[in-house]
Amino acid sequence: MSELSEELLHGPLHQWHVDHGAKMAEFGGWLMPLQYDGGGVVAEHTAVRTAVGLFDVSHLGKAEIRGAGAVAFANRCLSNDLERIQPGHAQYTLALTDRGTVTDDLIAYMRGEDDLFLIPNAANTAAVVAALEAARAAEGAELEITDLHRSYGVFAVQGPLANTVMAAVGLPQPADYMSFVDATVNINGADVALTVCRTGYTGELGYEVVPAWHDAAAVWEALAAAVEIAGGRAAGLGARDTLRTEMGYALHGHELSTEITPVEAGIGWAVGWKKAAFWGKEVLTAQKADGAPRKSVGLLATDRGVPRAGVNVLDAEGNIVGHTTSGTFSPTLGNGVALALVDPAVELGQALALDIRGRRLGVNVVKPPFVKASTKA
Amino acid sequence: MSSIPADLSYTAEHEWVLTPTAGGVVRVGITDFAQDALGDVVYVQMPEAGTEVSADTVVGEVESTKSVSDIYAPLTGTVTARNEALDADPSLINSDPYGDGWLVEITLADAASYSTLLSAAEYQEKVG
Repeated sequence: MSELSEELLHGPLHQWHVDHGAKMAEFGGWLMPLQYDGGGVVAEHTAVRTAVGLFDVSHLGKAEIRGAGAVAFANRCLSNDLERIQPGHAQYTLALTDRGTVTDDLIAYMRGEDDLFLIPNAANTAAVVAALEAARAAEGAELEITDLHRSYGVFAVQGPLANTVMAAVGLPQPADYMSFVDATVNINGADVALTVCRTGYTGELGYEVVPAWHDAAAVWEALAAAVEIAGGRAAGLGARDTLRTEMGYALHGHELSTEITPVEAGIGWAVGWKKAAFWGKEVLTAQKADGAPRKSVGLLATDRGVPRAGVNVLDAEGNIVGHTTSGTFSPTLGNGVALALVDPAVELGQALALDIRGRRLGVNVVKPPFVKASTKA
Repeated sequence: MSSIPADLSYTAEHEWVLTPTAGGVVRVGITDFAQDALGDVVYVQMPEAGTEVSADTVVGEVESTKSVSDIYAPLTGTVTARNEALDADPSLINSDPYGDGWLVEITLADAASYSTLLSAAEYQEKVG
C-alpha cells in the first residue's frame, strides 16, 4: 500500500486526514479517507443519519464549459434535459457512449446560459472532458472546455443537523433541492469565495460546498469544528458507500458502467427522451422501446450475512438470474442489502438467493431505497 | 500501535490462543491488529460445539462492513463452546478482541501442540 500511495493523487486535506488517523484508500486514482480513528464505518454512518457528517470528496472531478451557447451545446451531448432547469440549479445527468452505455454520471451546475460547471467522478473526468472536447471540435463551436480537477475542493455536509453546521460557519443554505448559490464568507478574517449546492449522496438533508483548492483547508477546518460542536463527526468514504447503498443510489463502476445502459440501471428519469439529440440516443431509444435485457432491483437479505458486489443471484431452482452490483451491511437496518442486475422476469417480493462463496444467502426482491430518504426534509 | 498481550499465544493468521486449561481447553479469538484491519465487524460465522477442526483449516468467517476474513482453527481438536454473545453483538470483536469478543473454545487433541504457536514477541515481529 505504501508503494501504491506514492502514485496516487492527494487532495487538499490529505494531511488533515492523516493527522486524524484516517485509514486511507484509493478512490478513482486518489488517496482518500475510508474511515477515521475513533469512528469507523458504522459510527460515521450513524452520525450522518442521526446528527451530521462531514465528507471530503475533493477527488471528484471539476470541469467547466464556457462561451456563447455553452448550455445548449451540453444539452446536445449529456443525457438529461437542461431545459428542465434554470440558472442557479444543478442537475444529475449522464455522459453516454454511442452504445447508450454510461461513460459517467455527473452533476451539471447551470451558472448561466453561457457557463456550465460539471462535477464528474474522479476516475472519469478525463474521459468526460475528452468526449465534450471532441464534440465541440466536431461542431466547430467557439467554447472553452476546461478540466479543473485540481482547482477546487468539494465537501459534503450531510445529516439532519446540516443547517446548524452551515449557519455556524456563516454559509448559505439554499432551500430548493438541487439549487446552488455562490457566496463569499469570512473565515478566520479572510474572505473566501465558494459555491454551495443543496445536494448530496446520502439520502439526508445536506449540502455540497465547493471552495477553491487553496481555500479548501480553511473551509474544512471551520466545518469540522462546527460539525464536532453539533455532535457530528468527519465521515469517510466507507460510510458514504453504505449510506448511498441504503438509498439505492448508483455508483459508477457498479450500477453504471460502459457495459450498462441507464434503462437497465433504472435511471431513465435522467434522460431527456424528447430532446433532439444526446449521445447514445438512437441505441438507447430503441432499447427503451424493445425492453432491456436486464433490470436493476434491490435485494434485502433474509438470512444473516453480508452480500458483496459481483456475486451470482440464484432463483429457487438454483438458476443464475443475475449478479449483484453492490452489496453491504446496512447499519441503519442491521441487515444485509444489495443492488443487482437481474433478468426482467424477476418480480418484486420474489425470494432469491446469493451465492456467497458457495453458501446460499436468502434475499427478497425489493424496490430501493432500503431506508426512507430525507433529502427534502 | 495494536495491543498484543504478552500472556497469549498467536498464529500467523492473526488469531490469539489462551493458555490451555488443565482439561486441555483453549479459548481463541482474533487479534487487535486483525479487528482494526477489518473495521466494524457485522457478522461472524463460527463452527457449532462438537465440530472437529484441524489446525490451519478454515472453520468460519468474520465479516466487516468492508471485507470478509476467514477464521482458521489454530490447532487440532473439538469445538466445545462458541461465543453466543457475538450473534447479537458482533462488534464485541472490535471493542474487546481479547475479552468479550472471543470466538470459540477448542478441546485440543494434543495439549502439547500449544507450544507450536507464536509467542507475543514473535507475533509482534510479524505485524511490525
